[in-house]
Amino acid sequence: MTEPTTPGTPTPVDDRRESFEREALVHLDTLYRVALRLTGNAADADDLVQETMLKAYRAWHQYQQGTNAKGWLLTILRHAFINEYRRRTRHPETVDVDAIEPFAVFEDLQEEDPQGRFFDQIVDDEVLRAIDELPEQFREAIVLSDVEGMSYEEVARILSVPIGTVKSRLFRARRLLQAKLYDYAVGMGYIKGSRA
Amino acid sequence: MNCREAVEHLYEYLDKELTPQVEREVRQHLEDCQPCLEQFDFEDAFLKFLQARCRGRCAPPELKRRILHELFGE
Ligand SMILES: [Zn+2]
Repeated sequence: MTEPTTPGTPTPVDDRRESFEREALVHLDTLYRVALRLTGNAADADDLVQETMLKAYRAWHQYQQGTNAKGWLLTILRHAFINEYRRRTRHPETVDVDAIEPFAVFEDLQEEDPQGRFFDQIVDDEVLRAIDELPEQFREAIVLSDVEGMSYEEVARILSVPIGTVKSRLFRARRLLQAKLYDYAVGMGYIKGSRA
Repeated sequence: MNCREAVEHLYEYLDKELTPQVEREVRQHLEDCQPCLEQFDFEDAFLKFLQARCRGRCAPPELKRRILHELFGE
């Protein structure tokens, strides 16, 4: 039995809850967006985020308040994904990401559309579909950096890779994504293009 | 700084990950070099487009309710 508390006096549980809401729950949208791109479907993304929050709340005493809660949560989310969801929701990587030769869309469009106006014609769903087709290592780099705006250092910490790896993955991921969107735009007739 | 070096730093420049010194050198180059400036602008437009297209999704309210219930029993 716990002692009844005087109303207005914060208990340790209230403190814990309050700080968790303030520092962790505010990142729910970020966790959800990253989970969606990792799992590829809404039901698994829901479960992954819920599990992440549960694990985070249990381990909340290990989190140093005022430090990078978003990075801490995303690290938990990614581990949960790797351990429990990846085998079930995605096929293991069969692509050698280092062998992917990046294609420079800009060089091809220098004459026709140097300002990249064709991007504006591509709708959200098409962009998300193109991201989902990227190899997982590229997908997570793009989502953390370009969608969630995290620094190279934060991304490196979450993915447990050196900063140089983040840079090179981002470079190839962005170029590959551009090439996919370019092919789509050519197919839709938004641009002529000249890629063989 | 020449064109090759500037382009090598392209994404780090746009991501604001360069040291102030190198960033200044890249900016200097872009002031004097129209072709590089066009390429940087193109990539900048691409990154802004990406973020604009993907940031819209929010966690469903139902998920938030589920989590609050699970954590705090509400
Ligand atoms: Zn130049």
